[in-house]
Formats: sequence, C-alpha cells, structure tokens
Amino acid sequence: MAIKVDYVARETFSNLKRNALMTAAAVLTVAVSLALVGSALLVRQAVSRATTQWKGGVELSIFMNPDATADEISTIDRQVHDMPEVKKVTYVDHTAAYDEFVRIFRDSPEFKESIQTPDQLPPSFRVVPQKAELVDSVGQRFVNGAGVRQVVYARDTIKTILKVTRFVTTFLWIVALVALMAASLLILNTIQLAIFARRREVGVMKLVGATNWFIRVPFMMEGLIQGLIGAAAAVGLMIGLRPFVQGQLKHIQLLQQFFVTSSQVLGTGLILLVLGSVIGAAGSAVAVTRFLDV
Amino acid sequence: MIRLEHVSKTYKGTTAALRDLSVDIAKGEFVFLVGPSGSGKSTFLRLLTKEERPDDGRIWVAGKDIAHLSSWKVPFLRRNIGCVFQDFKLLPNKNVFENVAFALEVIGRPKHVIVSQVPQILDLVGLAKKRDNLPTELSGGEQQRVSIARAFVNRPLILLADEPTGNLDPSTSEGIMRLLDRINRTGTTVLMATHDRSIVDRMRRRVIELDHGQLVRDQARGVYGVATN
Repeated sequence: MAIKVDYVARETFSNLKRNALMTAAAVLTVAVSLALVGSALLVRQAVSRATTQWKGGVELSIFMNPDATADEISTIDRQVHDMPEVKKVTYVDHTAAYDEFVRIFRDSPEFKESIQTPDQLPPSFRVVPQKAELVDSVGQRFVNGAGVRQVVYARDTIKTILKVTRFVTTFLWIVALVALMAASLLILNTIQLAIFARRREVGVMKLVGATNWFIRVPFMMEGLIQGLIGAAAAVGLMIGLRPFVQGQLKHIQLLQQFFVTSSQVLGTGLILLVLGSVIGAAGSAVAVTRFLDV
Repeated sequence: MIRLEHVSKTYKGTTAALRDLSVDIAKGEFVFLVGPSGSGKSTFLRLLTKEERPDDGRIWVAGKDIAHLSSWKVPFLRRNIGCVFQDFKLLPNKNVFENVAFALEVIGRPKHVIVSQVPQILDLVGLAKKRDNLPTELSGGEQQRVSIARAFVNRPLILLADEPTGNLDPSTSEGIMRLLDRINRTGTTVLMATHDRSIVDRMRRRVIELDHGQLVRDQARGVYGVATN
C-alpha cells in the first residue's frame, strides 16, 4: 500500500485549517475534559499518599488520672499489650509528659509555671492499632477502665478530610467522563464536516481507484492530531497550575501531606496524551466508517 | 474484456433496472449503449465498476469475475477502468494539471511518473496550454477533455463514458468523439452510454440498445434507432 507521508501531511493540515473553528472547539473540549481527568487522577494519588501517612499515624491516647495508682497503670499496660489489634504502645509517664509539656510551652513562661511538678500531669498510653479502622474498638475497651480519665482519638478530622476528597474525586470523574464524551462527539462532528467538505475529492478518489485506507488515513490523522493537541494543552495546564495549587495547600496544616511528585505529574501527563489520541482516533474512526462509504 | 451473463438488477421498490442481460464486449471494441432514460444504461455502467451489485448473474471485467471480488480489491478493479461523466466531476479548486495529477497521486504513483505522464496526456487532449487554468475558466468541451484526460492518464483497459456529450453543443461533441475514437485506437475498450442520435449514426459502431432493462438490439455497425423511437 503506497500511502505517501507528504500527501497525508498535506491533506491533514489543509483539513485542519479549513475547519479551524470546529477544530478549535474540539481541541478545547478535549483539553478541558482531559485536564479534569488529570486532576481527578492527581487528587487520587495525593489522597492515597496523605492517607497512608495519616493512617500510619492514626493513634489514640489513653490518659490516666494524674493520681492513678501504679497498680491501675500496670493493669492497663498489660491489657493493652495483650491486645492482638495493637501494633505499638508507648507509655508516657509523668516525667516524659512534663518534658513534653515544658517543650511545647517553653515560650509561655506563665503557662509553664502553672504546673509545678511532673505529678500534676496525667501519664498516658499512646496506642497505634494494626489498622486505622480498629481505633474505635480498641479505645472503647479502656474508656471505663480503672484510673482512666479519658480516651482521645486523632481521627475524626481525618475522616472528614477523606470524605471530602472522595466526594471531590467522584465529582471530578463524573464531570470528566461527560466532558470526554462531548469531546469525542465533537471530534466525530469535525471529521464528518471535513468529509462533507471534501465529498467531491472523495468521490473522485473512489472513482479512480484510491484504496479505502488511502482515503481514510488523512481524516483519521486529523482526529488524532486534534486529540493530541487537546491532551498537550491539558498537560500544560496541569504543569502550569501545579505550583499555584500546591502553594495554596502548604498553608493548611492538615494538608501538608497532600501533594504529588513531579514523576506522578509526568506519569499522569503521559496517560492524558494516550487518552487524547485514543479519543481522537476513536471519534474519527467512527466518523470515517459511518460517513465515508468506501 | 466485458462479459455479462444473465444479469438482473432490481432497485428497492421499483421495477427491474436490468432483466436477464447477457452481453459480450471484446478488447478494443467501441460500443454505444443506447435507450431511453431509465432503460438501465447507467445501471449497466455502475455494475462494471462495482458501484452496484447484481441480484443475479455473473459479470467479468478484464478477465476477473467481479461478483467474487473482495471489497478491498475493488479499487484495483477501478484502476483498470476510466470513467467520464456528463457533469465532468472536476475539482473546482484544482487547476487542469492538478485535476489530472490527482488521479495518479491518490493511487500512489510516484512524482516522477506524474510529471512525465500528465503533460503527455494533456497534449493528447489538446489542453497543454491550459494546464494552469481552473475548471471555471474553461469551456464545457475543454472541461470534458480534462475529465477524459483524468480518466485515461492511468492508461486503463476500459473507458466508460456516461453521456459525455450530454452538456455540449454538436460541434464540441464532435471534438470529444474524435478524442474518444483516438483513445479507442490505442487499444482501449470504450463503452459509451448516449442519447445523441447524430453521433451514433455518424460513427457507425456497435450499438447495444436497452429498453426497460432488456436487450432489444445488438448491432455491429448500428445507428441510433431502427425498430423503436
């Protein structure tokens, strides 16, 4: 099959030029929808990074009464150590609690002076369960233990954040899918217009015996290029907006872990380029088979 | 070169376009296909290029049974057949040279073949001086010559002409017929559907007459109408 590169290139670009407005619409839609897909992918990666960090650190603290007896403390200590669900336990005794207290409030002397001796501070157990989901059940066991003053969980905030990000990603996915469909339809429509604009040429080509692929390839290239340009714009948008978004997130204490690496961005960019060319090729393939009766 | 055996074709919801037609055309013949509108002339021609499929019967073109030709081979069948139409079917945004070159370009002929073949064929049809003109700048007869040049530039075995003089005045038509005659003398089989009585009567070539899709006359040195019309 003798399809010449310069012929295909010439035909493809003259088509793109002729259909400039429709091409622009298709390219923009591809860009917007792929940018959404990219954001969804990146948010997901950031969430999974942040949650492993959070989950690894999900813990509960069992605070004893400051005047808990040694007996009460060792009972709790034994109970915690015996639980298979528990991964790690650290006992923070009076002295350690006091040291931490001094460290945290070293810049506020008046606060520091309110506590005179280590005995006034409650000792505590910092418990890390095997799985983040077990925090509740572990904590429940000790709420009413002898000498226990309070069980504090560090996970309600995290739960909320996870819920919000899950909602955001789902939303992004839905919008992205709808936009992707719109993009493929627009490409289909541009190619259909291109075929219609060139129906005379196509007729002559069939008449003199051009092969079907010879007729199809320039149109398919046109769709492919629209998809690729759109994807490239989406990748550019993503790379351009990343420092800004990350700069904003840095100011939020809880979202410090919420970031993506450069290699993740590049990987996502690659996915977008592949997606863009698939959309372009698929849209034009449908147009070519449906409207180019060869 | 062209052989039809018991060919029938019916379009949906109409009467038969062709009924049990058997025709044999040898290599190098010049054949007129005559008959009133709707007698099946165009269907005959479209069957040969496989734009239509017969409901029944068998067709051979250039030694090949085209009923059993797989669809990807159809383009290669068409490279053996040049087609000329009443409405020329030229590309308005291409000049004379480009219109003819297009036919070679889209079947993948290399550039050096194009630059040597196209001027040669334009010379043959007498349009060497108008190679840079657009179709709109040409007369009807000149446009038809471009269309013949395009059909013949690939040196096909068969030339099909569907009312090539239908839009032209008698003296221009005569020039076109001389050109087709010259092409026929190079050994190309020419099959021409026409309504033009004076041309058929003057040329005295084989005449095949169709009426309501049936062969009513096949005469070696015929005229337009003897029995009917």
